[in-house]
Amino acid sequence: MDSNFSHKVWQEVELSKMVKGGIPYPMVADLGGKIGTLYGVYDDVKGVDVRGRFLIDPDGIVQAMEVLTPPVGRNVAEVLRQLQAYQHHQKTLELMPSGWQPGKPTLPPETETLTRAGHVWEIWKPDLAF
Amino acid sequence: MSVQVGREAPTFTAQAFHQGKAKDINLADYRGKWLMLCFYPADFTCV
Repeated sequence: MDSNFSHKVWQEVELSKMVKGGIPYPMVADLGGKIGTLYGVYDDVKGVDVRGRFLIDPDGIVQAMEVLTPPVGRNVAEVLRQLQAYQHHQKTLELMPSGWQPGKPTLPPETETLTRAGHVWEIWKPDLAF
Repeated sequence: MSVQVGREAPTFTAQAFHQGKAKDINLADYRGKWLMLCFYPADFTCV
């Protein structure tokens, strides 16, 4: 939402004290919530962008998104898990069941899934979801 | 228009603050890389 001037002050006054050199990625000025509107995360009553997060792949396709109201912050570990899962899928076409973490069991590519219907329980157990 | 998973992300051009300088950013410049686009209500709030 904020201007480049506000981003600069926030970097200098606060963020650079949390992360050496400040945060390394571009901070976009979404004045008037134009980009937020484009992505469906602009609250026109409060005049702010809510906490939206979009994971976009190298072809420009939105693979995942998460939108929260302002009081609760996001979980960085979950974004990284999703990124690793999509990268693994794009490389192998394997499917990542609930709670998948790198190194944990995957399911075979979609084309083989039908022949395995009824056998997922042999690979995946509910405790792997957590 | 709203965003849907599995569909192309809407592109935009905007001013950004990066490495101490103002610059123009176009979402399409990030083709070929994974990209995370994050919105938050305001500077000086938790993210």
